[in-house]
Amino acid sequence: MEKKVFLSEISFARSGDKGDVCSIGLIAKTSKAYETLIREVNPENVKKHFGGMVKGDVELYPMPNIAALQVILRNALGGGATRSTRYDQTGKAMGQALLRMKVEVEEEVLAEAQEATKKIFEKYGRAWD
Amino acid sequence: MKKVRLGSGSAFWGDMLEPAVELVEKGDIKYIGFDHLAELTLAIFQRIKAKDPTKGYIPDIIPWMKAILPGAWRNGCKVITNAGGANPEMGAEEVLKIARDLGMKGMKIGVVVGDDVSARLSELIDKGVKFSNLDSKEEDLSRIKDRIVAANAYIGSDSIIDALKEGAQVVVTGRVSDNALFVAPVMYEFGWDFSNKYIEEIASAITMGHMIECAECCTGGMSNIWQAVPEPWRIGFPVAEFYENGETIITKVADTGGLVNEWTIKEHLVYEVLDPNNYIMPDGIADFTSVKLKEVGQNRVKISRAKGKARPKDLKLCIGYRDGFIGEAQIFFPWPDALEKAKRAAKIVEERLKIVKLRAEEVRYDFLGVNTILGETVPVKDLDYNEVGLRVAAKTQSQEEADKVRREITHLWTISSVGAHMGVPMQPRPVVSLWPTLIPREEVPTRVIMKEV
Repeated sequence: MEKKVFLSEISFARSGDKGDVCSIGLIAKTSKAYETLIREVNPENVKKHFGGMVKGDVELYPMPNIAALQVILRNALGGGATRSTRYDQTGKAMGQALLRMKVEVEEEVLAEAQEATKKIFEKYGRAWD
Repeated sequence: MKKVRLGSGSAFWGDMLEPAVELVEKGDIKYIGFDHLAELTLAIFQRIKAKDPTKGYIPDIIPWMKAILPGAWRNGCKVITNAGGANPEMGAEEVLKIARDLGMKGMKIGVVVGDDVSARLSELIDKGVKFSNLDSKEEDLSRIKDRIVAANAYIGSDSIIDALKEGAQVVVTGRVSDNALFVAPVMYEFGWDFSNKYIEEIASAITMGHMIECAECCTGGMSNIWQAVPEPWRIGFPVAEFYENGETIITKVADTGGLVNEWTIKEHLVYEVLDPNNYIMPDGIADFTSVKLKEVGQNRVKISRAKGKARPKDLKLCIGYRDGFIGEAQIFFPWPDALEKAKRAAKIVEERLKIVKLRAEEVRYDFLGVNTILGETVPVKDLDYNEVGLRVAAKTQSQEEADKVRREITHLWTISSVGAHMGVPMQPRPVVSLWPTLIPREEVPTRVIMKEV
């Protein structure tokens, strides 16, 4: 059984800028979640998700060594941080924005990713409660 | 096995000083690198230098060196900083004065120059160098030629290594790549050169440099697991233990806030990277897909040796040019119907800007608290918001046009809806746009000037 859920259920994200290019690293929470990431995230649905925010191409680079997927958005930051009228000039929130994309995830993959998140906080504690 | 411990003291111009002092005092490090330059910074300081040739370095170099040098000198920690900005020589003069006042007799300072190619652009164009824009793909620089305010190449480790060979305790640079602040000391320590023999060693050093160059961003800053990060207000800056075989352990100063684990290191490995198979730096090309990460202790993560390729023949060149102004202002609307009030206000501004005949390349409307940073990826739902802001930003060619945005937002105070409130309106700001391009390495000779206290 598959469910349509936010990407945030199975992945973390960190984003930033290189000129007018936005770089987003999606970091899968488990190895099965990584397989789901690779299967579900493609240049077309990423481009559609961002709509007019991304003017150029979307490129994907898998990083199987750390179960991550690099997502590159060209011409995506309003001309680059120094001339952009965007509030988020350097694209720091673009990763979180991508985590709002909905993808099909098998129930067991979802359950395992949720368990993995729980374990992270069990292992490192919650400094902020 | 031989190893060297390095620390990273600054992620950006304006970063915290205390964790950097802590690094040189308690970090048991042999080198500390400081990055104070963002893409725009050099354009700002070139303009300052144009007005006063004795200025143009990052003014933070003075308080930073006053705080860092005593511990660094006592503990034998060498300091490599790009706070020389647009004027590394004068920046080094400031360091010299401080060292003299602190009685550090015999201390040597190396100055790296050569990254600034602004004076030679015309000559290079005549020579046939094409400065195609890497982002926009435009080929012709002539459109912006008369408006250029800075042109600095991202240079590599060569001259920093030379300065260290000359016995520099402090190395002051301009636009070296942030990465080279950490690659250079490692290459110097292990006696590596740019022959094919050391490609993987240098790729490993580049990976280490990438990991720590943004300081706190790999020790729990900006983290997805931010709730697990203890005491960020006294976050520890990173320490890299780099081994001669190319392995690195990333850690931080003991008894500090922050967190180093598998996740914070993964977050940084992907940060601001384009193609991870080819992370291109002036000193080499690292393959980030070739490394393995492993937690080897509390706040200790090991990164394996990396694969890579030889250094590229071109360097990245960032050209900054004057490009008009941005006018920006915001105003907030209270419950009830906060979002509807903000939408009505947006319509009012739109109509007012027509009446005052705003000439702009672009006008942008955001609802603060609704879609300002998530943009089109979120639905604008008609919820029962407590408050919603309206932000308007316009890109114009003149300051007068940009100021129309500020004026029209202030008019919302009286002609929009009940309860609208704004802070102090912002003044229009000048824009320096960037033209990222490449330049052949041989056109950017760099050299070292030594000074002694």
